[in-house]
Formats: sequence, structure tokens, C-alpha cells
Amino acid sequence: MSDMRSISRSDSVLEDPGALAVATMYAQSYMTAAAAEGIAAPEEELNSLVDDVLAVFPEFEQLLMSDLVGRDDKLAIVDRVFAPKCSEFFANFLRVLVGHGRIEMLPQIKTVLGRLQEEAAGKKRIRVKSARSLSDASRSQIVNHLKNTFGFEPILQETVDASLLGGVVLQVGDTVYDSSLRSQLKQLKDRLVEKAFNEIQSGRDRFSHPEGD
Amino acid sequence: MKFKADEIASVIQKEIEDFRGQIQTAEVGRVIEVGDGIARCTGLSNVMSGEMLEFPNGTRGFAFNLEENSVGVVILGDYLKIAEGDEVRSTGKLLSVPVGEALLGRMVDPLGNPLDGKGPILTSSSRPVEWLAAGVAERQPVKEPLQTGIKAIDAMTPIGRGQRELIIGDRKTGKTAVAIDTILNQKDTGVICVYVACGQRASSIAGVVEVLREHGALDYTIVVAATSADPAPLQYIGPYAGAAMAEYFMYQGKHTLIVYDDLSKQAVAYRQLSLLMRRPPGREAFPGDVFYCHSRLLERSVKLNKELGGGSMTALPIIETLEGEVSAYIPTNVISITDGQIYLEPDLFWKGIRPAINVGVSVSRVGGNAQTKAMKKVAGSLRLDLAAFRELEAFAQLGTELDKDTQAQLDRGYRMVELLKQRQFGPLHVADQVVAIYAGTKGYFDKVPVAKVAETEKELHEFIRTEHADMRDKLVAEAALTDEIEGMLKKALSAFVARLASKA
Repeated sequence: MSDMRSISRSDSVLEDPGALAVATMYAQSYMTAAAAEGIAAPEEELNSLVDDVLAVFPEFEQLLMSDLVGRDDKLAIVDRVFAPKCSEFFANFLRVLVGHGRIEMLPQIKTVLGRLQEEAAGKKRIRVKSARSLSDASRSQIVNHLKNTFGFEPILQETVDASLLGGVVLQVGDTVYDSSLRSQLKQLKDRLVEKAFNEIQSGRDRFSHPEGD
Repeated sequence: MKFKADEIASVIQKEIEDFRGQIQTAEVGRVIEVGDGIARCTGLSNVMSGEMLEFPNGTRGFAFNLEENSVGVVILGDYLKIAEGDEVRSTGKLLSVPVGEALLGRMVDPLGNPLDGKGPILTSSSRPVEWLAAGVAERQPVKEPLQTGIKAIDAMTPIGRGQRELIIGDRKTGKTAVAIDTILNQKDTGVICVYVACGQRASSIAGVVEVLREHGALDYTIVVAATSADPAPLQYIGPYAGAAMAEYFMYQGKHTLIVYDDLSKQAVAYRQLSLLMRRPPGREAFPGDVFYCHSRLLERSVKLNKELGGGSMTALPIIETLEGEVSAYIPTNVISITDGQIYLEPDLFWKGIRPAINVGVSVSRVGGNAQTKAMKKVAGSLRLDLAAFRELEAFAQLGTELDKDTQAQLDRGYRMVELLKQRQFGPLHVADQVVAIYAGTKGYFDKVPVAKVAETEKELHEFIRTEHADMRDKLVAEAALTDEIEGMLKKALSAFVARLASKA
């Protein structure tokens, strides 16, 4: 199940929404449990495991995520390798994941956890598409505007798309605000076409009713 | 007329100056899976069921399945150009089609795009494809006749305006022919016709259009075509789109006739969609709501009350059976929804009885109220007489000696059966039908050899039209067989019989 890793995916290929929902559930429970235990920064250990261990030793990652290794063996690995080095809370979390056969979701849980913590801190990721890369001035203008309108701290994820011609396209959640030159030109074109269309129709109506308007 | 370039340029310039671009907001999602005419998308968290969606290349689709983590989208068009990761935009609109007078005489696909190469359809009005049928208070009983122009139907299974009369039978029994004849007979009656071809061969649709054009019926007809080569989603929405186009006229107080040819293929298309969307299959692998799929469509055929203009929509759904199996799933469903059925049989068809209507099992549950008085009077006992004749005929085959009365009854029966035959594309006016059936039941044809009945009937119509036009005009105007008209008719028929005798 090594293809479940979301790190190397290209942007246009999407995660399985079902797996994402499961990862969200684990991340949420992890956060709530950490808060109940009074652990200040629960993401630290998780991030370090994914970034410092699994990313550095891909063979170890394969071992941990492979279906060829049984649950009991994986539990033993957790007990021998991780438990002595990390907090009891995190070791328990790993045991739960292994017990439920969800250990391969670790990288996804890490990503979701990061996003959840941002949301809890009143931040939100906004995708910004522009024709050219944004200047600092326009960037801060966008940030301020978003802050005033929506009341959260935006984190801009910028992409450059020359086909927009000008202007910006913002995506907040599932909603897209499109003020690009491309779509405005398309609007203008549609309007001109529609006008010509009405002209033709009224011309035709004149012919079909000889008594005239 | 000459165009001036600078004039046009200035108009465009002014348009551009006045243009204030608006920020477009839309809900978006992304395609995670696409294939077989459907797509699964994430995002679109506020999308409505049945909402129209747009893919990047302009292809449209509609939200069919709303699931916990994804949205199942039915693609109306070419799905091969859609890729994983593509952005899907919601439009906030329900799937709708263009409607209006501009569609008359045109052939369109179920989305209202022209297929006949006669240029764009210039209309500004549109109507949602799915529309809730009129409620009980908005209707009135069916009471006006819709003449099919076919003797056997108008006499024995009459159809009223606003009725749903199923045409059912095996393949090649003349189901479409009955529907087409009915459309042809609506000429000069102000009834607007919609012919929805669903899952038909493109060649047969072209044939139907050609017949309509030849007989001048295309001027008041809209053809909605989803051939068997079109993707299943288009075949599925075809009937609804046709109904929307007819409803436009109905709510203007006009009378409309819609033919769904045929609903068994629509059910098959719907089954394909549902199975691809992983909705659980039921009997014959059809989804559980295939009944609702047809009932909500046919429920849209109504006779509106006076406040709403009194318009009507008569539906002639067609169902194809396999080997006469009417107890299959879809036939029983549609039989139970409609207000009666015309049952066509291959045996009769091959015996040369065309239209091959089985009189015994064909019924019309409401049309009787809508029959003209004249037709009611002459055809009142026709059904029972024919049934009695069938029994006698079976008995006579045993080779028993028959008494004179029985033989006479048999002879008249043979002539009645012959008289109810009718050639294709030759609808008869109801007055002519009354004359023919009156002549048959009262024995004016008894002396005519069975093989000559059809020919003699033709002569009779000719005779009445040329020499007794006053009587015919009266019958047309009053639509009732008053004593006066009956007297005139008797006189005319006796004269006709006398002429036949003198010729022989």
C-alpha cells in the first residue's frame, strides 16, 4: 500500500475521499485525546516520525506498511523501536493504528492534523491563482482583504497560470471567486453573442409578423 | 443591404466601454474518477441533487448521487475529454432545455441542441427538465376527444386529451405506426405534437421525420432524438426534456400530444446509469425507483383546469414486449400507471389485420367520456359484437353446420374485421369513421365480398364526400348522430348500396 503516500502525488491526482475521511477521523481523535491528556504540541512527535524516520528510511516505511508483515509483528516493532524513544501517549496512538490496520495512513493523518490545527488557530488555506507571480504589495492587499471579509487568517497557496491573462482567482473552501481577465473577456464575448442573437431573433420576428411591431 | 465596418466597430466599442466585469463566484469540485458516462467528484459541498454542473471543456452534467464524501455526476456529452483532477463547476441551475415556438418543425437532442442542420434555435425561454406534475386541484377530468384517425382506436379504445394511453406490443407490430398516424391526424386541429425517440435506430428516426415532413406534419411537431448511439444519460433524460417542451405549450392553454418511443429503452438506459452509480439492483436488475422514473414522467400528462388555461398533454408511451410477455417488470409498471393500453399482436399483424390491435385486451379507462356522441352511438356495442364474433368464429372452425342466423352473424363479423383494417399514414376523419362503422354494423356491407370491403369502403367515402357533402358537413359540425342526420345517412347508404348492385 505504498502508493497511499500523498507526498509524491502530482497536484491533479486526487486522494481517495473515503481514505481522507478516515484520516480526518483519526487526526481529530488524536487532537482531542492530546488535549484531554494535556499534551501541548501533539504534532511534534508525529511530524518527526514521518519526516525524520519514514522519509529517511523508505525500507523501514515499507516494512511498517506492508501487508506481508502481520499485526502482531508490527505491534512488536512499535513496542521495541518506538515505545522506548517516545511518549507513552504517542506509542499508544501507534498501537491503535496498527491494531486497526491503519498504520499506512500515517502520512495522511499528519497532513490532516496540520490542517486541523491551522483551522483551530483561525487560519485557512486559500488557493490563489494569478497570471504572474504576486508582488508583496498585492499579496498583503489580498491577505488584508480576506481577513476583513471572512475574519480568518489566510494562508495563501499561490500558483501562476499565464492563461488567466490578468487578475486573480481565489478559492476559499469549495467556492471560487474569479476576477481573472480571461473569464471577464469570456463574459464580454457571451454578452456580445447574446446581443447579436437577440438582434437576429427580433429581425426574424419582424418577418414572421408582417403587420409589424 | 451593406454592412458598414466602422458602424459595427462602434457598436462593439460601446459595448466594451459599458462592460463592467463581475467577479464570478462558483462552487467547484474535482473529478476523482471518470468513465462510462459518469464521474465521481469531490468538493461541491453545497451542490443540489439534479443541479447542472459544468466541466472545463464546456460539457455539462448533473448531480445524480450525493454521497458522504463524493458526488456522482452523470455526464451529458463526451466524457472522453474529461480527466481526473479536472475542475467541475456548479451552476446553481437545474438541468433545463430551451422551449418555445422556435422548436416547432425542428429535430433536437435531449439538451435542445439542433440536430437537423437548420441553424441555431432562437428562443430565450427555457424550462427545467424535471418538473413537478400538476396537483389534483389544478386538473379537470378528461372530456375532450383526441382523434387518432384510426377506426379501431377511436371506436373501441378512444383517447381523451390529457390521457395516457400505452401502446404495447412485440417488435414489428406497428407500435410506432399507430403513434405516427395519430400525429398526422392532428393536422389543422391546433394540437402540438412532440415525438421523443429514445434508444431508437437513427435510420428509423430519420424515416419518421421524413414521413412527418412529407405529410406536412413537421410544422406542428418537435422531434427529440436520442438514438441508441447516444450515451445512456441522454436517452434517460430524453422523455423528460420532451415533456418540458410540451408543457410550455400546455401551460399556455394549448393542447399537446407527446409520444415516448419507447420507454422500455429509457428504462434500460436508467438501469445502466443506476448500476454504474452503484445503486442496488432489484428485479431484472432495474433499480428500485424505476417505477417512479416512469410514474413521475407520465403524471405530467394532464388536462389543466380553466384557471390555468385548460391546456392538455396527451401521452402515448410505447413499450416493447418480448414474445408477448406483458407480465415482465417494465410492461406491468407502465400498464398500471397509464389510463389504458392498446395491445398490438404479431399474430394479427401477420394475418393482415393492420393495425394489429387486439380488441379484447385493449382498454381505455377514461377515453369513453371523451368520445363524440356520434361515435359513441355507432360504436357502443362494437366491442361486444366483435367478442361474440370471435367466439362464434372459433366454434365455426369445428366444421359444424350453422343455422342461417349464425352464418349471417359470422359474415357480418368478417366484414367488420375487414372494415376496421386501415392502411398506414391514412388517418380518417371521425365523421368518415362514423359513416363506415355505421354502414358496417347496420349491414350495408353484407352483400360485398369480404376481399372487396376495403375497396368498397374507399368508394363509400368518395361517394359521401362528393354527393352527400351536406350530410357529412352536418355530422362534422354537430359531432352527434341526430335523427335528422341518421335519416340522411340511411338514405345516402341505401343509394350507395343500390349503385353497387347496379354495377355488379
